[in-house]
Amino acid sequence: MWDSLVSRLPDWAEPVVDYIIHTGLKNTLIIAAISVVLSVLVGVVLGTLLTIKFLPLRGLIRLYIEVWRGLPIIVTIFLLYFALPSVADETHLSFIDLDPMRAAILGLALWGSAQIAEATRGAVQSIPREQHEAAEALGFGWVGRHVNVILPQASRRLLPPLVSLSVGVIQNSTLASIIGVPEVLETAQRSANRLAVPTVDPATLAIEGGDSHALEIYLFVFVLFFLISFPLTRLAAYLERRLAQ
Amino acid sequence: MDALAAFDWQYIWDHKAVLWGGAKVTFELAAIGIAGSFVLGLVLGAVRAYRIPVLSQLTAIYVELIRNTPILVQIFLIAYGLPKAAKALQFDFFTVACVSLILWGGAFNTENFRAGFEAVPVRYREAAYALGLGPIKTFLNVSLPIGGRIALPSSINTYISVFKNTALMVAISVEELTNVAKQSIDLDFRTWEMIWVLAVFYLTCVWTLSFLIRLLERHLALPEST
Repeated sequence: MWDSLVSRLPDWAEPVVDYIIHTGLKNTLIIAAISVVLSVLVGVVLGTLLTIKFLPLRGLIRLYIEVWRGLPIIVTIFLLYFALPSVADETHLSFIDLDPMRAAILGLALWGSAQIAEATRGAVQSIPREQHEAAEALGFGWVGRHVNVILPQASRRLLPPLVSLSVGVIQNSTLASIIGVPEVLETAQRSANRLAVPTVDPATLAIEGGDSHALEIYLFVFVLFFLISFPLTRLAAYLERRLAQ
Repeated sequence: MDALAAFDWQYIWDHKAVLWGGAKVTFELAAIGIAGSFVLGLVLGAVRAYRIPVLSQLTAIYVELIRNTPILVQIFLIAYGLPKAAKALQFDFFTVACVSLILWGGAFNTENFRAGFEAVPVRYREAAYALGLGPIKTFLNVSLPIGGRIALPSSINTYISVFKNTALMVAISVEELTNVAKQSIDLDFRTWEMIWVLAVFYLTCVWTLSFLIRLLERHLALPEST
Protein backbone atom coordinates (compact mmCIF):
# COMPACT_ATOMS: atom_id res chain seq x y z
CA MET A 1 0.00 0.00 0.00
CA TRP A 2 2.83 2.36 0.94
CA ASP A 3 4.56 1.79 -2.41
CA SER A 4 1.43 2.47 -4.42
CA LEU A 5 0.88 5.64 -2.40
CA VAL A 6 4.42 6.84 -3.02
CA SER A 7 4.29 6.04 -6.74
CA ARG A 8 1.22 8.24 -7.13
CA LEU A 9 3.16 11.30 -5.93
CA PRO A 10 4.52 13.90 -8.36
CA ASP A 11 8.04 13.26 -9.64
CA TRP A 12 9.83 15.66 -7.31
CA ALA A 13 8.15 14.25 -4.20
CA GLU A 14 9.13 10.61 -4.48
CA PRO A 15 12.83 10.94 -3.56
CA VAL A 16 11.93 13.54 -0.91
CA VAL A 17 9.47 11.27 0.88
CA ASP A 18 11.92 8.42 0.54
CA TYR A 19 14.76 10.47 2.07
CA ILE A 20 12.64 11.90 4.91
CA ILE A 21 11.19 8.51 5.85
CA HIS A 22 14.15 6.20 5.34
CA THR A 23 16.95 8.45 6.56
CA GLY A 24 15.19 11.18 8.55
CA LEU A 25 12.56 9.22 10.41
CA LYS A 26 15.01 6.40 11.11
CA ASN A 27 17.46 8.81 12.75
CA THR A 28 14.69 10.62 14.64
CA LEU A 29 13.49 7.33 16.10
CA ILE A 30 17.02 6.21 16.98
CA ILE A 31 17.75 9.52 18.72
CA ALA A 32 14.44 9.45 20.58
CA ALA A 33 14.70 5.79 21.62
CA ILE A 34 18.22 6.02 23.03
CA SER A 35 17.49 9.33 24.77
CA VAL A 36 14.36 7.95 26.42
CA VAL A 37 16.17 4.81 27.64
CA LEU A 38 19.08 6.87 29.03
CA SER A 39 16.64 9.34 30.61
CA VAL A 40 14.79 6.55 32.42
CA LEU A 41 17.94 4.77 33.60
CA VAL A 42 19.55 7.91 35.00
CA GLY A 43 16.32 9.61 36.05
CA VAL A 44 14.93 6.73 38.10
CA VAL A 45 18.21 6.30 39.98
CA LEU A 46 18.60 10.03 40.69
CA GLY A 47 14.95 10.42 41.62
CA THR A 48 15.10 7.53 44.08
CA LEU A 49 18.33 8.84 45.61
CA LEU A 50 16.62 12.21 45.99
CA THR A 51 14.31 10.70 48.62
CA ILE A 52 17.27 10.01 50.92
CA LYS A 53 17.51 12.67 53.61
CA PHE A 54 21.22 13.41 53.14
CA LEU A 55 21.64 17.07 52.35
CA PRO A 56 24.85 17.17 50.24
CA LEU A 57 23.57 14.37 47.97
CA ARG A 58 20.18 15.99 47.64
CA GLY A 59 21.80 19.32 46.85
CA LEU A 60 23.89 17.80 44.07
CA ILE A 61 20.95 16.00 42.46
CA ARG A 62 18.77 19.13 42.81
CA LEU A 63 21.47 21.13 41.03
CA TYR A 64 21.60 18.52 38.23
CA ILE A 65 17.82 18.65 37.81
CA GLU A 66 17.53 22.44 37.93
CA VAL A 67 20.43 23.03 35.53
CA TRP A 68 19.39 20.60 32.79
CA ARG A 69 15.73 21.46 33.14
CA GLY A 70 16.44 25.18 33.23
CA LEU A 71 18.69 25.44 30.16
CA PRO A 72 17.09 25.55 26.73
CA ILE A 73 17.94 22.14 25.25
CA ILE A 74 19.66 23.77 22.31
CA VAL A 75 22.14 25.45 24.70
CA THR A 76 22.86 22.05 26.29
CA ILE A 77 23.44 20.59 22.82
CA PHE A 78 25.77 23.50 21.94
CA LEU A 79 27.66 22.87 25.18
CA LEU A 80 28.12 19.20 24.31
CA TYR A 81 28.84 19.71 20.64
CA PHE A 82 30.92 22.91 20.52
CA ALA A 83 32.49 23.26 23.97
CA LEU A 84 33.34 19.71 25.04
CA PRO A 85 35.64 18.89 22.09
CA SER A 86 38.03 21.68 23.10
CA VAL A 87 38.49 19.92 26.43
CA ALA A 88 38.81 16.56 24.68
CA ASP A 89 41.91 17.77 22.80
CA GLU A 90 43.78 18.71 25.93
CA THR A 91 42.70 15.97 28.31
CA HIS A 92 43.01 13.17 25.72
CA LEU A 93 39.53 12.05 26.73
CA SER A 94 38.62 11.50 23.10
CA PHE A 95 35.28 9.94 24.01
CA ILE A 96 33.85 13.34 24.95
CA ASP A 97 34.55 14.56 21.41
CA LEU A 98 30.98 13.81 20.37
CA ASP A 99 29.66 13.53 16.85
CA PRO A 100 26.47 15.56 16.22
CA MET A 101 24.18 12.55 16.67
CA ARG A 102 25.65 11.63 20.06
CA ALA A 103 25.66 15.24 21.22
CA ALA A 104 21.95 15.47 20.40
CA ILE A 105 21.15 12.18 22.13
CA LEU A 106 23.09 13.18 25.24
CA GLY A 107 21.59 16.67 25.31
CA LEU A 108 18.07 15.25 25.17
CA ALA A 109 18.95 12.60 27.77
CA LEU A 110 20.26 15.21 30.23
CA TRP A 111 16.98 17.12 29.91
CA GLY A 112 14.85 13.95 29.97
CA SER A 113 16.61 12.44 32.98
CA ALA A 114 15.96 15.64 34.94
CA GLN A 115 12.25 15.34 34.14
CA ILE A 116 12.14 11.65 35.06
CA ALA A 117 14.11 12.24 38.27
CA GLU A 118 11.55 14.78 39.43
CA ALA A 119 8.65 12.44 38.53
CA THR A 120 10.36 9.49 40.25
CA ARG A 121 10.85 11.45 43.46
CA GLY A 122 7.14 12.20 43.56
CA ALA A 123 6.19 8.62 42.72
CA VAL A 124 8.50 7.09 45.34
CA GLN A 125 7.29 9.50 48.02
CA SER A 126 3.70 8.60 47.20
CA ILE A 127 4.28 5.02 48.38
CA PRO A 128 3.06 4.73 52.00
CA ARG A 129 5.65 4.42 54.78
CA GLU A 130 4.21 1.04 55.77
CA GLN A 131 5.54 -0.47 52.53
CA HIS A 132 9.06 0.60 53.49
CA GLU A 133 8.64 -0.79 57.00
CA ALA A 134 7.17 -4.07 55.77
CA ALA A 135 10.02 -4.54 53.29
CA GLU A 136 12.53 -3.74 56.00
CA ALA A 137 10.89 -6.26 58.32
CA LEU A 138 11.29 -8.88 55.59
CA GLY A 139 15.03 -8.22 55.68
CA PHE A 140 15.46 -6.12 52.55
CA GLY A 141 18.29 -3.60 52.56
CA TRP A 142 17.88 -0.10 51.07
CA VAL A 143 18.66 -1.20 47.52
CA GLY A 144 16.60 -4.40 47.63
CA ARG A 145 13.72 -2.59 49.27
CA HIS A 146 13.57 0.01 46.52
CA VAL A 147 14.24 -2.31 43.59
CA ASN A 148 11.84 -5.07 44.68
CA VAL A 149 9.11 -3.31 46.62
CA ILE A 150 8.94 0.46 46.19
CA LEU A 151 9.85 1.08 42.54
CA PRO A 152 7.52 -1.59 41.09
CA GLN A 153 4.65 0.14 42.88
CA ALA A 154 5.89 3.61 41.95
CA SER A 155 6.17 2.61 38.29
CA ARG A 156 2.38 2.79 37.92
CA ARG A 157 2.58 6.46 38.75
CA LEU A 158 5.62 6.91 36.50
CA LEU A 159 3.94 5.63 33.35
CA PRO A 160 2.03 8.81 32.35
CA PRO A 161 5.07 11.13 32.72
CA LEU A 162 7.17 8.57 30.85
CA VAL A 163 4.82 8.60 27.86
CA SER A 164 4.68 12.42 27.96
CA LEU A 165 8.46 12.51 28.08
CA SER A 166 8.67 10.29 24.99
CA VAL A 167 6.49 12.78 23.12
CA GLY A 168 8.69 15.63 24.35
CA VAL A 169 11.88 13.84 23.33
CA ILE A 170 10.53 12.96 19.86
CA GLN A 171 9.51 16.58 19.29
CA ASN A 172 12.72 18.05 20.69
CA SER A 173 14.83 15.66 18.62
CA THR A 174 14.21 18.18 15.78
CA LEU A 175 16.77 20.41 17.58
CA ALA A 176 19.42 18.02 16.28
CA SER A 177 18.86 19.59 12.85
CA ILE A 178 20.52 22.77 14.13
CA ILE A 179 23.84 20.90 14.44
CA GLY A 180 23.25 19.04 11.17
CA VAL A 181 22.02 15.59 12.22
CA PRO A 182 19.98 14.20 9.28
CA GLU A 183 16.78 13.61 11.24
CA VAL A 184 13.29 14.36 9.86
CA LEU A 185 13.49 18.16 9.89
CA GLU A 186 17.06 18.29 8.56
CA THR A 187 16.29 15.88 5.71
CA ALA A 188 13.21 17.99 4.89
CA GLN A 189 15.29 21.16 4.90
CA ARG A 190 17.98 19.60 2.70
CA SER A 191 15.30 18.40 0.27
CA ALA A 192 13.75 21.87 0.03
CA ASN A 193 17.19 23.47 -0.47
CA ARG A 194 18.09 20.94 -3.14
CA LEU A 195 14.82 21.45 -5.04
CA ALA A 196 15.25 25.24 -4.88
CA VAL A 197 18.34 25.00 -7.08
CA PRO A 198 17.33 24.90 -10.78
CA THR A 199 18.89 22.16 -12.89
CA VAL A 200 19.82 22.34 -16.57
CA ASP A 201 18.86 19.45 -18.80
CA PRO A 202 22.14 18.65 -20.65
CA ALA A 203 20.35 17.59 -23.85
CA THR A 204 17.96 20.47 -24.36
CA LEU A 205 19.65 23.04 -22.09
CA ALA A 206 16.19 23.76 -20.68
CA ILE A 207 16.15 25.00 -17.09
CA GLU A 208 14.06 22.77 -14.86
CA GLY A 209 12.91 22.92 -11.24
CA GLY A 210 13.89 25.75 -8.95
CA ASP A 211 10.81 25.38 -6.78
CA SER A 212 11.63 24.42 -3.19
CA HIS A 213 8.15 22.95 -2.53
CA ALA A 214 8.74 24.13 1.03
CA LEU A 215 5.03 24.28 1.86
CA GLU A 216 4.33 20.68 0.86
CA ILE A 217 7.51 19.36 2.46
CA TYR A 218 7.08 21.10 5.83
CA LEU A 219 3.36 20.23 5.89
CA PHE A 220 4.34 16.61 5.35
CA VAL A 221 6.78 16.82 8.28
CA PHE A 222 4.09 18.53 10.39
CA VAL A 223 1.60 15.74 9.66
CA LEU A 224 4.24 13.08 10.23
CA PHE A 225 5.02 14.37 13.73
CA PHE A 226 1.32 14.75 14.51
CA LEU A 227 0.62 11.14 13.54
CA ILE A 228 3.39 9.96 15.87
CA SER A 229 2.64 12.29 18.81
CA PHE A 230 -1.14 12.34 18.89
CA PRO A 231 -1.69 8.66 19.81
CA LEU A 232 1.01 8.99 22.48
CA THR A 233 -0.52 12.09 24.11
CA ARG A 234 -3.92 10.33 24.07
CA LEU A 235 -2.27 7.34 25.74
CA ALA A 236 -0.67 9.59 28.38
CA ALA A 237 -4.03 11.24 29.07
CA TYR A 238 -5.72 7.83 29.34
CA LEU A 239 -3.07 6.54 31.76
CA GLU A 240 -3.42 9.70 33.82
CA ARG A 241 -7.21 9.27 34.06
CA ARG A 242 -6.88 5.59 34.98
CA LEU A 243 -4.45 6.51 37.73
CA ALA A 244 -6.80 9.14 39.10
CA GLN A 245 -9.61 6.61 39.53
CA MET B 1 42.42 21.69 31.33
CA ASP B 2 43.94 24.45 29.23
CA ALA B 3 40.63 25.21 27.58
CA LEU B 4 39.20 26.10 30.95
CA ALA B 5 42.38 27.71 32.27
CA ALA B 6 42.46 29.92 29.19
CA PHE B 7 38.95 31.14 29.95
CA ASP B 8 39.03 34.75 28.88
CA TRP B 9 36.83 37.06 30.97
CA GLN B 10 38.17 39.97 28.98
CA TYR B 11 36.64 38.48 25.82
CA ILE B 12 33.17 38.49 27.39
CA TRP B 13 33.70 42.04 28.66
CA ASP B 14 34.85 43.22 25.24
CA HIS B 15 31.72 41.78 23.65
CA LYS B 16 29.28 43.06 26.23
CA ALA B 17 27.59 45.43 23.79
CA VAL B 18 26.85 42.69 21.23
CA LEU B 19 25.75 40.26 23.93
CA TRP B 20 23.50 42.84 25.56
CA GLY B 21 22.00 43.52 22.13
CA GLY B 22 21.21 39.81 21.82
CA ALA B 23 19.78 39.66 25.32
CA LYS B 24 17.52 42.60 24.51
CA VAL B 25 16.12 40.80 21.46
CA THR B 26 15.59 37.69 23.60
CA PHE B 27 13.69 39.78 26.17
CA GLU B 28 11.66 41.43 23.41
CA LEU B 29 10.73 38.06 21.89
CA ALA B 30 9.90 36.66 25.32
CA ALA B 31 7.79 39.68 26.30
CA ILE B 32 5.78 39.59 23.07
CA GLY B 33 5.47 35.81 23.20
CA ILE B 34 4.36 35.78 26.84
CA ALA B 35 1.91 38.67 26.48
CA GLY B 36 0.45 37.14 23.32
CA SER B 37 0.08 33.66 24.78
CA PHE B 38 -1.53 35.16 27.90
CA VAL B 39 -4.24 36.90 25.87
CA LEU B 40 -4.72 34.00 23.45
CA GLY B 41 -4.82 31.43 26.24
CA LEU B 42 -7.23 33.48 28.35
CA VAL B 43 -9.72 33.98 25.52
CA LEU B 44 -9.51 30.49 24.04
CA GLY B 45 -9.44 28.91 27.50
CA ALA B 46 -12.78 30.62 28.23
CA VAL B 47 -14.09 29.49 24.82
CA ARG B 48 -13.20 25.91 25.73
CA ALA B 49 -14.43 26.01 29.31
CA TYR B 50 -17.83 27.46 28.42
CA ARG B 51 -18.16 25.25 25.30
CA ILE B 52 -19.01 28.05 22.89
CA PRO B 53 -20.24 26.11 19.86
CA VAL B 54 -18.01 25.80 16.77
CA LEU B 55 -15.30 28.04 18.28
CA SER B 56 -14.72 25.50 21.02
CA GLN B 57 -14.21 22.65 18.53
CA LEU B 58 -11.92 24.77 16.34
CA THR B 59 -9.89 25.71 19.41
CA ALA B 60 -9.59 22.05 20.38
CA ILE B 61 -8.17 21.24 16.93
CA TYR B 62 -5.72 24.16 17.14
CA VAL B 63 -4.53 23.07 20.59
CA GLU B 64 -4.00 19.45 19.52
CA LEU B 65 -2.18 20.45 16.32
CA ILE B 66 0.25 22.70 18.18
CA ARG B 67 0.83 20.42 21.16
CA ASN B 68 1.53 17.38 19.00
CA THR B 69 4.07 18.90 16.64
CA PRO B 70 7.58 20.24 17.36
CA ILE B 71 7.77 24.03 17.63
CA LEU B 72 10.79 24.00 15.33
CA VAL B 73 8.64 22.44 12.58
CA GLN B 74 6.00 25.12 13.21
CA ILE B 75 8.66 27.80 12.88
CA PHE B 76 9.89 26.35 9.57
CA LEU B 77 6.36 25.98 8.26
CA ILE B 78 5.61 29.64 9.04
CA ALA B 79 9.01 30.91 7.86
CA TYR B 80 9.41 28.93 4.62
CA GLY B 81 6.11 27.14 3.94
CA LEU B 82 3.50 29.87 4.27
CA PRO B 83 5.16 32.33 1.85
CA LYS B 84 4.80 29.60 -0.82
CA ALA B 85 1.05 29.48 -0.15
CA ALA B 86 0.51 33.23 -0.51
CA LYS B 87 2.89 36.13 -1.00
CA ALA B 88 1.00 38.06 1.68
CA LEU B 89 2.15 35.50 4.26
CA GLN B 90 5.81 36.42 3.80
CA PHE B 91 6.97 37.93 7.10
CA ASP B 92 10.38 38.98 8.31
CA PHE B 93 11.87 36.39 10.65
CA PHE B 94 11.43 38.46 13.81
CA THR B 95 7.68 38.45 13.11
CA VAL B 96 7.81 34.72 12.34
CA ALA B 97 9.50 34.20 15.71
CA CYS B 98 6.83 36.20 17.56
CA VAL B 99 3.95 34.49 15.76
CA SER B 100 5.28 30.99 16.42
CA LEU B 101 6.01 31.76 20.09
CA ILE B 102 2.48 33.12 20.57
CA LEU B 103 0.80 30.24 18.71
CA TRP B 104 2.78 27.69 20.71
CA GLY B 105 2.37 29.33 24.12
CA GLY B 106 -1.26 30.16 23.38
CA ALA B 107 -2.11 26.50 22.78
CA PHE B 108 -0.57 25.38 26.07
CA ASN B 109 -2.09 28.33 27.90
CA THR B 110 -5.55 27.54 26.52
CA GLU B 111 -5.39 24.25 28.38
CA ASN B 112 -4.11 25.97 31.55
CA PHE B 113 -6.93 28.50 31.58
CA ARG B 114 -9.55 25.94 30.53
CA ALA B 115 -8.57 23.81 33.54
CA GLY B 116 -8.61 26.93 35.74
CA PHE B 117 -12.08 28.05 34.65
CA GLU B 118 -13.47 24.54 34.89
CA ALA B 119 -12.18 24.29 38.45
CA VAL B 120 -14.40 27.21 39.52
CA PRO B 121 -17.37 25.58 41.29
CA VAL B 122 -20.65 25.98 39.38
CA ARG B 123 -22.37 27.16 42.56
CA TYR B 124 -20.19 30.31 42.57
CA ARG B 125 -21.56 31.24 39.17
CA GLU B 126 -25.07 30.35 40.23
CA ALA B 127 -24.64 32.63 43.23
CA ALA B 128 -23.48 35.45 40.95
CA TYR B 129 -26.50 34.96 38.68
CA ALA B 130 -28.76 34.94 41.74
CA LEU B 131 -27.26 38.30 42.73
CA GLY B 132 -28.33 39.61 39.33
CA LEU B 133 -24.92 39.73 37.58
CA GLY B 134 -25.00 39.14 33.85
CA PRO B 135 -22.82 36.51 32.15
CA ILE B 136 -20.02 38.98 31.31
CA LYS B 137 -19.94 40.49 34.80
CA THR B 138 -20.03 37.01 36.28
CA PHE B 139 -17.02 36.03 34.18
CA LEU B 140 -15.05 39.18 35.03
CA ASN B 141 -15.89 39.28 38.75
CA VAL B 142 -16.15 35.61 39.65
CA SER B 143 -14.72 33.13 37.13
CA LEU B 144 -11.71 35.20 36.07
CA PRO B 145 -10.29 36.04 39.52
CA ILE B 146 -10.80 32.53 40.86
CA GLY B 147 -10.06 30.50 37.72
CA GLY B 148 -7.16 32.80 36.82
CA ARG B 149 -5.56 32.17 40.20
CA ILE B 150 -5.93 28.42 39.79
CA ALA B 151 -4.37 28.63 36.31
CA LEU B 152 -1.53 30.94 37.35
CA PRO B 153 1.21 28.46 38.37
CA SER B 154 0.78 26.24 35.31
CA SER B 155 0.57 29.25 33.01
CA ILE B 156 3.84 30.63 34.41
CA ASN B 157 5.38 27.27 33.57
CA THR B 158 4.21 27.85 30.01
CA TYR B 159 5.78 31.34 30.05
CA ILE B 160 9.08 29.82 31.18
CA SER B 161 8.90 27.45 28.21
CA VAL B 162 8.10 30.35 25.89
CA PHE B 163 11.16 32.16 27.23
CA LYS B 164 13.36 29.10 26.66
CA ASN B 165 11.89 28.63 23.17
CA THR B 166 13.25 32.02 22.11
CA ALA B 167 16.63 30.25 21.89
CA LEU B 168 15.27 28.19 18.97
CA MET B 169 15.21 31.29 16.81
CA VAL B 170 18.91 30.62 16.20
CA ALA B 171 17.53 28.26 13.51
CA ILE B 172 16.05 31.16 11.52
CA SER B 173 18.87 33.61 12.33
CA VAL B 174 16.94 36.05 14.51
CA GLU B 175 19.57 38.06 16.39
CA GLU B 176 18.67 36.83 19.88
CA LEU B 177 21.27 35.89 22.48
CA THR B 178 21.80 32.24 21.49
CA ASN B 179 22.32 33.28 17.88
CA VAL B 180 24.71 36.09 18.83
CA ALA B 181 26.71 33.67 20.97
CA LYS B 182 26.71 31.06 18.20
CA GLN B 183 28.02 33.58 15.65
CA SER B 184 30.73 34.63 18.04
CA ILE B 185 31.71 30.95 18.53
CA ASP B 186 31.92 30.49 14.75
CA LEU B 187 34.08 33.60 14.43
CA ASP B 188 36.48 33.49 17.38
CA PHE B 189 36.22 29.93 18.77
CA ARG B 190 35.81 31.36 22.30
CA THR B 191 33.36 28.52 22.88
CA TRP B 192 33.48 28.14 26.66
CA GLU B 193 33.12 31.86 27.24
CA MET B 194 29.98 32.05 25.12
CA ILE B 195 28.42 28.86 26.48
CA TRP B 196 29.09 30.21 29.98
CA VAL B 197 27.31 33.46 29.11
CA LEU B 198 24.33 31.53 27.71
CA ALA B 199 24.11 29.19 30.71
CA VAL B 200 24.29 32.00 33.26
CA PHE B 201 21.78 34.10 31.35
CA TYR B 202 19.15 31.41 30.83
CA LEU B 203 19.51 29.83 34.27
CA THR B 204 19.27 33.21 36.00
CA CYS B 205 16.10 34.09 34.11
CA VAL B 206 14.47 30.67 34.41
CA TRP B 207 15.33 30.26 38.10
CA THR B 208 14.04 33.75 38.87
CA LEU B 209 10.76 32.96 37.12
CA SER B 210 10.31 29.64 38.93
CA PHE B 211 11.11 31.36 42.22
CA LEU B 212 8.35 33.84 41.36
CA ILE B 213 5.93 30.96 40.80
CA ARG B 214 6.54 29.67 44.30
CA LEU B 215 6.10 33.16 45.78
CA LEU B 216 2.92 33.77 43.81
CA GLU B 217 1.52 30.34 44.61
CA ARG B 218 1.82 31.13 48.29
CA HIS B 219 0.58 34.68 47.85
CA LEU B 220 -2.41 33.95 45.65
CA ALA B 221 -3.41 30.61 47.13
CA LEU B 222 -7.17 30.51 47.59
CA PRO B 223 -8.09 30.83 51.28
CA GLU B 224 -9.71 27.38 51.39
CA SER B 225 -6.64 25.59 50.07
CA THR B 226 -4.25 26.96 52.68
